[in-house]
Amino acid sequence: MKHVPGSLQADLEAEVRVPTRRALAKQQTRLKVLAAARKLFSEEGYEGATIRDIAAAAGMSTGAVFANFSDKSDLFREIMNADMVLLSEAMRDAAQKGRTVDDALLRAFAAGYAFYKSQLPLARAAFSISWAPDQGPELRASPPVQALHELIAEQLQLGVERGELSQEAEIKLRTQMLWDCYLANYPEAIFLGWSLDALQAKARDQIRVILAGARRG
Amino acid sequence: MSIRKSQKEATRQRVLDAARDLFETEGYEETTVREIARRAEVSVGSVFTTFASKSEILSQVMADRLDGLYAELDRVAPNLRGSTADRLRSMFAIHYAYETRRTKLFLAHIAAAYDWTLGPNTRPYGRNMRLREIMRELLKGGVERGDVDASVDLEGVIDALTAIYAWTYRLAAWEDADATQLSAVFDRQVGLIADGFRPR
Repeated sequence: MKHVPGSLQADLEAEVRVPTRRALAKQQTRLKVLAAARKLFSEEGYEGATIRDIAAAAGMSTGAVFANFSDKSDLFREIMNADMVLLSEAMRDAAQKGRTVDDALLRAFAAGYAFYKSQLPLARAAFSISWAPDQGPELRASPPVQALHELIAEQLQLGVERGELSQEAEIKLRTQMLWDCYLANYPEAIFLGWSLDALQAKARDQIRVILAGARRG
Repeated sequence: MSIRKSQKEATRQRVLDAARDLFETEGYEETTVREIARRAEVSVGSVFTTFASKSEILSQVMADRLDGLYAELDRVAPNLRGSTADRLRSMFAIHYAYETRRTKLFLAHIAAAYDWTLGPNTRPYGRNMRLREIMRELLKGGVERGDVDASVDLEGVIDALTAIYAWTYRLAAWEDADATQLSAVFDRQVGLIADGFRPR
C-alpha cells in the first residue's frame, strides 16, 4: 500500500461504499453460473460441458452467461484459478506439519492429490490446457502455480538449513524435478484409479530418488 | 493374404498416413474423420469399419511411430558406452530428437492422454512399458558395471526419470524448444539423479 496523504481516507471510503442492487444481482448471477459450470465440468469434463447446458443448469439464458463470461475457457479458467488458490493453501498447510524435508514434501503432495481426487475430470481438463502452447505458459506463470513452486523451493531450503541436504542442493533444478514428479502421478489417478495410498507411496519413492544426491555425508 | 484382406490392410495404412499428416499440419482437434477419409481417398464408413474413433486412429499412428523409435533404440542400445548417466542421456536424446521431428503430432498425443472421451483401445502418453524396460536394463547394467549402487530402488529411479523426461517435453510446447535444448535440461537432471544412485 502506498503511504501518501489522503490514500487511507480513500480506502475507507471505498470499503464502506454500498454495492448497488444491480452490482449485487450481477455478482449473484456470476456465482450461480460458476457453481453450475463447476458441477458440469466435474461430471462431463471440459469438452462434454456446453455453455447451453451450463446456462440451463444455472436456470438462465445463454445470453446471461455470455454477459458475464466471454466463453467457456474464460469460465473454466476462473474455476481453475479459484481451485489453485485453495490447493496451494492446502499444500502449504500440509507441508508445515512435516518434520523432515521428505516428510514435508510428501505431505504437500498428498494434500494436492487428496484435493483433486474427488474432481478428477477437472484435473484432467486443467492438464489438457497446461500443454497448450498459448494457455500453458499463462497457467505456469499464474500466482498459485508460482506459489507451489516456491513452496517446494522453501522446503528444500529449510532442508539445507537443517543440515539434511548439502549446500549444493541445486534447489531450482530439484524444485522443477519434484514438481514434474508431482504432476506426472496424476495420470495414474485419472486412468488407473489409484488410491491415495498408492499415489503417496510412489511420490515418496520419487522424492527419495531426487533428494538422494543432495544428502550430506 | 487374400485380396480382400490386403485391400483392407491398404485402406488402413492409407487412413493412418492421411491422419498422421493432418494431425501434424492441422492439429488433432482441428482434424475431422471426414477430412481424414477425403485425404485417404476412402469413404467415412470404411474409416469407421477399421477404427472406432479419432482417438483410436491417433493412438495407432503413435504406436507405429513408437515402433520406429524403438527399432532405432534397439540398434543403438548395444553400442552405448560410458557411465550409466551418459547412457541414459544418450537414450533420452534419441527420444527427444525423434519426438521433435513431429512436435505437433506428439503434443496431440499428449493432449489426448487427458481427453475425456478416450477410448479403451488408446495407449496414452506416459504408459510406455518398453521405455521402462530399456531403462531397467540400462540401470541393471550399471549395477554390474559398478556405477549404480546395488541397494538403489531401481523402480523409483525409473519413475522419477519417466516423469522428468515427459514433463521436460513441455518446453517444446511452450517455448518451441528443439531436441538440443530439451536434452540440455534433461542431461542436468539426470546428473542430479545419478548423484543419488552412485555407490557411496
